Amino acid sequence: MKVELLCQPASSVAEIYLDRGETLTAEVGAMIGMSTKINVETSTRSQGGQGGILKGIKRMFSGENFFLNHFTSNADAQRLILGPKIIGDIIVRELQGESLIIQGSSWLASTGGIELDTSWQGWGSAAFSGEKVFWVKCSGTGTAIINSFGGIYEIDVDGEYVVDTGHIVAFDDTLQFSVGKASSTWLSSLMSGEGIVCRFKGMGKVYCQTHNLSDFGKSLGPKLKPRSA
Amino acid sequence: MKSTIRFGPAFATLFISMKAGDSIIVESGAMASMSANVDIKTRFNGGFFNAILRKVFGGESLFINSFHSNSDAEVVLTQTTPGEISEIELQGTTLCLQPGAFIACDPTVRLQLAWAGFASWFGGEGLFRLKLSGHGRIWLGGYGAIFEKEIQSEYSVDTGHLIAYEPTLSLSVGLSGGIFSSFFGGEGFVTRVRGRGKCLMQTRSMDGLAAWTNQHI
Repeated sequence: MKVELLCQPASSVAEIYLDRGETLTAEVGAMIGMSTKINVETSTRSQGGQGGILKGIKRMFSGENFFLNHFTSNADAQRLILGPKIIGDIIVRELQGESLIIQGSSWLASTGGIELDTSWQGWGSAAFSGEKVFWVKCSGTGTAIINSFGGIYEIDVDGEYVVDTGHIVAFDDTLQFSVGKASSTWLSSLMSGEGIVCRFKGMGKVYCQTHNLSDFGKSLGPKLKPRSA
Repeated sequence: MKSTIRFGPAFATLFISMKAGDSIIVESGAMASMSANVDIKTRFNGGFFNAILRKVFGGESLFINSFHSNSDAEVVLTQTTPGEISEIELQGTTLCLQPGAFIACDPTVRLQLAWAGFASWFGGEGLFRLKLSGHGRIWLGGYGAIFEKEIQSEYSVDTGHLIAYEPTLSLSVGLSGGIFSSFFGGEGFVTRVRGRGKCLMQTRSMDGLAAWTNQHI
């Protein structure tokens, strides 16, 4: 299994080379093109994993699709191209037994050895962060492919770091995650327009995206006409 | 205070590295991430009354933030739309900004609200404009790329593409051609820029994207 990123950064796609028997699980609708000896199977569970319907339902809450597509290669040197719906970058993260928490709509694909779960980030973040309640948790050994709106920059947190809720792409689960105010008082946090931010504590990596998809949507939304029935 | 623009031109993002005692004035909501030791202070955008006028008539933020740090820190700033960010150094000069273009400036830069006139409002550009003057760096953003045009006497810009101009230029709204071509040619109103000086334009406009999207809803 080898992943190559093409057309970075604005219109990135991931090209994955699969050998016989190798599998990849991807978001529904992400496949752009593939070799003919790849078999596609759609299900509600991650390959070889636990769960089923319940996990599918949980995944819907995390902004992901109820179904997942599993790509299995029947021959060597098969190629598969995956792309997200929005413009932006893609990164590849190798996991060796650790866990990575990915923002609902940023998970694009992961290899067979990775167990997918939706992760509950607590009531505080659910109520205030304006983001999805559930996040996708990838754990195990393998490769995770993650996409963003805009570019992705990596922060090595050692101590504490603040990220606007709409800019989080993924983070190591070794980090403590808390939702709080951007400045010293609640009043000024709300006035500042920064509102609620996430504070990461501990040691680990946070991946941030340069642009905020929901802010972009909010600036376009008011200019749109109502949908005609 | 050092600034670096990365991920340009499509996703330009402003990385500011601060030393102890540095501060920067930032548009409301522009912060993507920052070191935990940065302190945010919020104040009305150009005074209480002006701020309310700007919010109601100018489509600008009611508040503006001042980021301050007492030790080494990093602040990452961005804009709502994908596109380029320009850094401009003011040396006693003045620049007028259209609503939404402002991202950040040095604390030595003076932010003022100026009346833009009804013509500007009809052109969809707001009743007020932001006037930046003094000495220091300013950062402004555009949807798409940003390009500069030196105006000698008169120039027409499609409404929604103008992001900044020197105060020696005056704006008025006019039809792009005759009545027929103005409305059927898709150009509608244009902003007429008169005088001598430079203006900055963005290569895409949100109105254009919205018009295209609306055809598909």
